[in-house]
Amino acid sequence: MKPRRQIARVLWAVLLCACLMPVVAEAARISELTETSTMERAARFFSFRDPSLRYALIGSMLLGACCGVMGSFLVVRKLSLMGDSLSHAVLPGVALGFLWNMTKDPVAIFIGAVAVGLLGAGTVQWLRNTTRHKEDAALGFVLASFFSVGICLFTMIQNVPGGNKSGLDKFMFGQAAALGAGDVWLLAGVTVVVLGGVLIFYKEYLVTSFDPGFARSFGLRVPWFDYSMMLLLAFAIVSALQAVGIVLVSAMLVIPAAAAYLLTDRFRVMLLLSAAFGVLSAGMGAFASFVGRNLPTGPFMVLSAAAVFSVALFFGPRHGIVTRWWRQRSHAARVGRENTLKALYHVLEATGFETEHVIVRDFAERRRATLEEAYAELDALEKHELVTLNRDESVVTMTPDGWQRACEIVRNHRLWELYLTDSANYPADHVHEDAESIEHVLSEEAVMRLEKALAYARVDPHGKLIPGVEDIRRGQGAAVGGSTGALVRKS
Amino acid sequence: MEALIPEFDWQRVVIDPWTVDVASSIWIVLMGFFVAAACGLVGNFLLLRRMALIGDAISHSILPGLVLAFVVFKSLSIWVSFAGALTAGIATAAVIEFIHEHSRVKADAAICIAFTTFFALGVAMMSMLEAKGSIHLDAECVLYGEIAFVPLEMPMEWLGVEWGPPSVVRMGLMLVTVVILIIAFFKELMITSFDPGLADSLGMRPRLWHYGLMGMLALVIVCAFEAVGAIIAVAMLIVPPMFAGQISDRLSLRLVLTVAHAAVSAVLGFHLSMWLQCTTAGAMVVAGAALFVAVWMGDLALRKWRRVG
Amino acid sequence: MDPMEPALELHDLTVAYHKKPVIYGIDVEVQPGNLVGIIGPNGAGKSTLIKAIMGVLPLTGGWVKIFGKSFREQSQRVGYVPQRESVDWDFPVSVMDVVLMGRYGRLRLAQRPTAQDREIARECLEKVQMLPFANRQIGNLSGGQQQRVFLARALAQESDLYLMDEPFVGVDAATEAAIITLLRELKAKGKTLLVVHHDLASAKDYFDQLLLLNMRLVAYGPTAEVFTPEVLQTTYGGKLTLMADVAHTISEGR
Repeated sequence: MKPRRQIARVLWAVLLCACLMPVVAEAARISELTETSTMERAARFFSFRDPSLRYALIGSMLLGACCGVMGSFLVVRKLSLMGDSLSHAVLPGVALGFLWNMTKDPVAIFIGAVAVGLLGAGTVQWLRNTTRHKEDAALGFVLASFFSVGICLFTMIQNVPGGNKSGLDKFMFGQAAALGAGDVWLLAGVTVVVLGGVLIFYKEYLVTSFDPGFARSFGLRVPWFDYSMMLLLAFAIVSALQAVGIVLVSAMLVIPAAAAYLLTDRFRVMLLLSAAFGVLSAGMGAFASFVGRNLPTGPFMVLSAAAVFSVALFFGPRHGIVTRWWRQRSHAARVGRENTLKALYHVLEATGFETEHVIVRDFAERRRATLEEAYAELDALEKHELVTLNRDESVVTMTPDGWQRACEIVRNHRLWELYLTDSANYPADHVHEDAESIEHVLSEEAVMRLEKALAYARVDPHGKLIPGVEDIRRGQGAAVGGSTGALVRKS
Repeated sequence: MEALIPEFDWQRVVIDPWTVDVASSIWIVLMGFFVAAACGLVGNFLLLRRMALIGDAISHSILPGLVLAFVVFKSLSIWVSFAGALTAGIATAAVIEFIHEHSRVKADAAICIAFTTFFALGVAMMSMLEAKGSIHLDAECVLYGEIAFVPLEMPMEWLGVEWGPPSVVRMGLMLVTVVILIIAFFKELMITSFDPGLADSLGMRPRLWHYGLMGMLALVIVCAFEAVGAIIAVAMLIVPPMFAGQISDRLSLRLVLTVAHAAVSAVLGFHLSMWLQCTTAGAMVVAGAALFVAVWMGDLALRKWRRVG
Repeated sequence: MDPMEPALELHDLTVAYHKKPVIYGIDVEVQPGNLVGIIGPNGAGKSTLIKAIMGVLPLTGGWVKIFGKSFREQSQRVGYVPQRESVDWDFPVSVMDVVLMGRYGRLRLAQRPTAQDREIARECLEKVQMLPFANRQIGNLSGGQQQRVFLARALAQESDLYLMDEPFVGVDAATEAAIITLLRELKAKGKTLLVVHHDLASAKDYFDQLLLLNMRLVAYGPTAEVFTPEVLQTTYGGKLTLMADVAHTISEGR
């Protein structure tokens, strides 16, 4: 509880600082800034001095959170392309909102875009229900035809007096710098509605997304939640229009959510991560666009999000491609070391455990390897402190750890062989290959169950002794020198 | 509102284009028709394969290829653009495949991630070039193109004959190629689209045909890109085949209807843009979509009437 | 509960997909405390029947009553186990999350599951021997384990009438035995269970009543009475081609 409260306190402090930052030498528009070098612009960005910059940044982060949360639903419901379609379809709504009183009134544009977005969603549904066209065609039709209507309206507005300075072209690729105080207040309101809606009805949205049939079976009004989710989605899309632009909103919906999807198995966590990634990439995009002199914000936000996604894709702790490759590699290396240890054990066993050390040439013969290869293998073991290698006398001795691991591997191998022959009725000459791979992955618990199932047998199908717990505990020296160890008893 | 929608002046909207400024009208309408027909013909097979949105993905993702090709070779020649676009298209396909194969992200999200990222890359590069002042490219142009500039191109001359604006000639050749290929391989394209399993058992290699179709799609889109941009190209891939599919069950008839729809929507759209003074490519799609909606509503009304009657 | 009131009453139930009838005029009264197997060939409308009872599919004709009232009024008393393929097993939820969904029907809108709900969910997981897996992501389970999770979710609903769609498909023998034991326990507690089943051989042993379905109701009654060669012949043999043809003609004509 305590650390959480502290984090909240720090966040509050940061927010307060950002809002109450002394208003020094602020520029009304970002384009009036005089700093020229990239570094200076970057420094200016982080000073948060200019209100327009603050609006841009706060607005971007709000939209990142909205899009991240709603995008999570799109990704798990496999509706990503629906997000793409709807985000293009709102364009005529933006134009109509502008035409309302020929100004860029955020509220009018918001209402227009949400209304047209819902009309688009309804048209997709209607097309699917009343024609033989499949979902992809319905989505494509709404995307393309609504967008075309919007483009026509836009070019018509250019002909209207006062229309060419509308700044509507910024809606295509986004310009976070164009956000004003009114926009940010509206964005804050939308964020509250979207996050609040998802928070309050989390349970309902979760079950309708996961298993709508089941949700119906206990009397939940699934269509109602589907429609309200479309409404929230339209809210999120429209919230992002100014800063991200129509064409790339779908990326801000899908990419952060997909990155979160790669990292977690819990939907709750996915929502949080996705919102965080959205905020992060929107902030990074706003920064890049500011430093690069009023470049369109949308593409940079999307590229930032793509960078976040790539990191998750390659380096995610559980499913990351590089992580998995690294795990496989280290597993292969471990298997190799264990096989070397096993060979050492076999050499010792062949001599009846008379000595503690193994002559490297004997080991190389056993491995059917050259002396160089044998030394390379033993070097690897020495690095992991499993053996001590005496190059001058060309002998090798297992450390207590090495001895223990060697005993375990041999025990696992022989137990598994015995299990296959005894319980699964495999012939004795069919079980070696299988045991070769199983021996490295048997858990301690599985070994105990095996031992129990085999009534603590001590001899494997090939007549060799299975090392027991005592042999491992006693250590190699004792096994060799002592007179009570099971292995020695045999020899 | 009056300022927004100009008065419908019959003389200005319908008569003048074909009496005063005939040459440019012809080239614009012809270009619109060529683009819509070529895209629509390919689109029929996309719709059959339920891959309409792959067209969307490809048309967006070729942008960085076009920009990069321009930056590297400092040329806007068609072959350089082709190469760049094709590379970008293949790269996108590879990225989609990679994400889909190596993670648990589903196909729809993988497509969305890949093409939006590529498109963002393209726009970012364009706007950076623009900021440096090295090219003046209208960023919005990549969305809906500028078909009205087609008549301003230097006419192409070959064998002493003036053939017309190069982009129109190119698009016309593209359409002819598409038509020939579809007629020649109609059977194969139909079977591999309808039942890949059967096609495989008949030894037809459906994957090969799939890639062939994708290549065709990429070529058509690259040709159309300059005139109509990324999103209008998607519209022309999807709307004409949907219109045809609404009317007919038979693929061969659908293809004919697609071409007819392309012609009608090009003419109607041209006049619509004359009347409303808006972008021509967009108006052509609006006209085409209106045709589809008319047929669709007619269908619904007919069904209702039959049920009552 | 009125002891004489049927747990489930279907009257002239008809469902059509795209105007093509899938099930026709089904009349059934199931008394409480029965374990009923729904048997029939592929495409006989078994799943459709279950979905129609729950109002997931719109009825073309007839009505459904559950303990004398409509499904909407009684949805709390109905538990449901959908087919395993009906959900995306990659969905980022844990076993516990899924079982908790069984409690959602008893919670008010926007109300969070309480500690007591969690306790019940845990008990249900214990009953299907899945408690050790409570925190696993559902995709990391075997087919049999996934089916047990669905079963635990249905148990968490604490209903009086259970509808199960192919709970035995793709599960191992141990799970199959565990499921049937559980079903019998539920029946002993007076619950009513309708189970869609595809395997004729085991149907005879598993259920005390059978409902044989092939577009229409072929037979319904105690297993001993209806599991006869004649009835099975009518259900499985001689696909009702004429009926399908007529149905098609009707839908064309509309």
